[in-house]
Amino acid sequence: MSTILSRKSCRAAAVIWAALLFCTLAAGFARAGIADGVKTKTLSNGLRVLVLENHKAPVATFNVFYHVGSRNEQFGRTGISHLLEHLMFRGTKKYGPDEFSNIIQENGGMDNAYTTADYTCYFVNINKDHLDVPISLEADRMANFAPQGFESERAVVIEERRMRTEDKPEDALDEQTRAAAFVEHPYHWPVIGWMQDIRRLTLDDVYAYHSIYYSPQNAVIVTVGDFKADQVMKQIEEAFSGIKNGPKPPPMPIVEPEQRGERRIELLHAADLPAFQEGFHVPNFKAGSDAYALEVAGEVLADGKSSRLYRRLVMEKRMVVDINAGLDIRSFDPDLFLFAAQMRPGVKTEDALAEVDREIAELRDHLVSADELQKAKNLEAAQFVFGQDSVFNQAMWLGIYELLGDYRQVDAYLPGIDKVTAADVQRVVRKYLVGDNRTTGVLIPTGMLPKGAMGGGPSGGQVRHIDLTTDEVAR
Amino acid sequence: MIPRMNWILKSILASCLVLAAAESAHALDIKRMTLTNGATLLVSENHQLPMVTVAIALDAGSLRDPPGKAGLAMLTAGSVNQGTRELSATAFDEKVDFMGSSLFVGADHDYATAGFTALKRYEKETLGLLAGILSSPGLRDADIDRKRAEQVAGIKAAEEEPGYIAAVAFAKGLYGDTPYGHLTTGTSDSVAKLSNDDVRNFYRDYYRLGSAVIAVAGDVDASEVKALLEKSLPGPGGAVGAQPQPTVPALAAGLDIKLIDRNVQQANVMLGFIGIARSNPDYYKIQVMNYILGGGMFASRLMKTVRSKAGLAYHVSSIFDARKFPGPFVAVLQTKNQSANEAIKMVLQQMRQMQESPVSDPELDNARKFLVGSFPLKIDRQEQIAEFMLKVELDGLGLDYAERYPKLIESVTKQDVLEAARKYLHPDDALLVVVANQHAAAINTAMLNQTAAGAGGGK
Repeated sequence: MSTILSRKSCRAAAVIWAALLFCTLAAGFARAGIADGVKTKTLSNGLRVLVLENHKAPVATFNVFYHVGSRNEQFGRTGISHLLEHLMFRGTKKYGPDEFSNIIQENGGMDNAYTTADYTCYFVNINKDHLDVPISLEADRMANFAPQGFESERAVVIEERRMRTEDKPEDALDEQTRAAAFVEHPYHWPVIGWMQDIRRLTLDDVYAYHSIYYSPQNAVIVTVGDFKADQVMKQIEEAFSGIKNGPKPPPMPIVEPEQRGERRIELLHAADLPAFQEGFHVPNFKAGSDAYALEVAGEVLADGKSSRLYRRLVMEKRMVVDINAGLDIRSFDPDLFLFAAQMRPGVKTEDALAEVDREIAELRDHLVSADELQKAKNLEAAQFVFGQDSVFNQAMWLGIYELLGDYRQVDAYLPGIDKVTAADVQRVVRKYLVGDNRTTGVLIPTGMLPKGAMGGGPSGGQVRHIDLTTDEVAR
Repeated sequence: MIPRMNWILKSILASCLVLAAAESAHALDIKRMTLTNGATLLVSENHQLPMVTVAIALDAGSLRDPPGKAGLAMLTAGSVNQGTRELSATAFDEKVDFMGSSLFVGADHDYATAGFTALKRYEKETLGLLAGILSSPGLRDADIDRKRAEQVAGIKAAEEEPGYIAAVAFAKGLYGDTPYGHLTTGTSDSVAKLSNDDVRNFYRDYYRLGSAVIAVAGDVDASEVKALLEKSLPGPGGAVGAQPQPTVPALAAGLDIKLIDRNVQQANVMLGFIGIARSNPDYYKIQVMNYILGGGMFASRLMKTVRSKAGLAYHVSSIFDARKFPGPFVAVLQTKNQSANEAIKMVLQQMRQMQESPVSDPELDNARKFLVGSFPLKIDRQEQIAEFMLKVELDGLGLDYAERYPKLIESVTKQDVLEAARKYLHPDDALLVVVANQHAAAINTAMLNQTAAGAGGGK
């Protein structure tokens, strides 16, 4: 499933396509139990380290995960996690701006980073012989953060937001739909932050944020590759164990209140085609079987050309070119089960939404057949193996599960899927995919051609709220 | 939600990084064989994971789109993937999905490619399905009608993306009505006019399995997979006739500026000219030169000036898209409408700078080190290995390419870089496409022309 993507913001464009690929490959480990091979250590300062040998190719990936994302931010200061991620490349007490990337590239490596609502990840993929380079550079910027060029980097982030959201109708709709679906929980705001907030953030804000959240006790290192685990563990310990902790990060206690009644928003945006996105509050994998059953429901609905929604909306009704449905069960707090599609010319969103409703009702009223259930499980199992073909992917899933509490949970994924019955699927559809728990966002296109002399005014983003249960989002 | 990826930019950026050299410890150990129908088979075995990736290239890319039928190669690829004469499209999809295999047929500028990734235990069955659609596709009216409507709708949707709009205008501006003058998608008008017989004829003429190149990577046995292919992929024999290089109209002298007005916050800029074919002997010099100019991510001069110093763009890069025939060089960036002039000026200045003085020793050294050293990262996954093998064969690089590559890059000198910049960069004779809110962008053509010519541009 792919819903994670819209909540990800990254430092450079290339990683977007990588992320897309990884998301469609879903989770990534074979039944043998990938966690069995992982060596772990907790350093004296609390830093968790996971090391896994993988000798498939002469490469290695080195990842530092910080347990902080937009979910740890405050109203009025949104986007600070992502801005900090950018500034991590702008120098330390020892190195100048962009020297990190330059040194990595000189060593034949590629580096980047991305921020999600839940966590922030820095990664370097590199020839196995040069793993010592990212180890020392990452330790340096954890301890000696001292960025230069704050203003210009913030300008870059503002350009990123223009590219990613302002000029991308579907992402603009995603942002508004989430803002309506989440009232109190920080999933309310976008990972990249609201434009006004980004402009308001200061370098002092960022330093303070770094000192709290970029401590060893709040990080997990995961490295996977063609090396000797013991030797790498030793190198990591030497580089990182002397780094001191800052203040303890505050807890993030907010639980989204139960939604009581349907919400609907409209977004007027520069576009030619209407689109919709609808989301239902659902639990994450911590809730156990419900999450796995929802994952299977997502497979049945929208994975593959033989999936129900693809068949009905793309092939038979020809209303859309593609449709997505599903959830990210590894979100740190309960998130949304999302449906999203852009209309073909001449198609009304209400007609397509009615078809989606019909498919939800079908799942609610009838058990999926044994064959269809098996197909969904087979798709998951295959994607699980395919995902292991990438060391980067392996490291990503180990890191996410470790931040969620225990990297070994990665091996619980397929068994969890396997246990799902047709009755489970029906149960969760009846429980969660119901009208009172739904937020629907509809994009109303205002045209791609400028009307008269538009001047430099905003091209999109005017939001009309209808039938809201709260006016929080209208701020 | 998966954003519909901008087809064009995606392919431009995906090919940004050139392939470099392998290490012997994990050599791909490519075996090259010929099938009895004439097809070439390349196999790289790796038994670490129980999965297999197959990729097949056919001389059926959009280069073969007949005049006035832009988008036909892509529509044919889409239509071929709709079941066989025996299996309906839905029955076919059902089988593929049930195994959890991912199977595709697509078209690029130069080639059509088809293939799959499957679990080892479904290798034979998935290969059978792929062979089925390639050798006897259904090509039923209803399916072609449906795919055509989908392609038109996909183009309409892409027309909301400023990057796509720019790419369409850029291709047209450089190559006119010749085959590289349109994107593989074609236009909504050209695709709507394609007939079902156009598709069937295109399939008949260009899906010649006897001249296919087939790459197989993963948990396979080379001789077994060869036997399997002999049995399942007899297909039409015979080669496709060679295609002469199209004659492309020359650009007008000076900067050729095309402004497209859209309701957007960012100006999407594409600046370039016709570059090189993959067979160009200066290919490696050009790769090093372009790494320093705009291909080298955060180490590139464009990134350093336009992004890191000036904060004008999130993304800026340049690429020589080396194709079968000379493909485009393009510098791409997005910046707020109001700073379009400034950003474009910087790109032009950087191009001129490359031509005026030699690059520094560290720049040259770092570029060579990256290009050589990063190779293993590019043949890490099965999909990449299969794609690499196709390139080795189609571009005539030779099975020892991985071993030769470091020398090809390491022998490039500062003088080579300077000469490559002088010979292959044409800032003063380029096409500039800007999709923006033009009122806000207020493109200053006189200033840009001056900068391009190197006169008073204010270095």
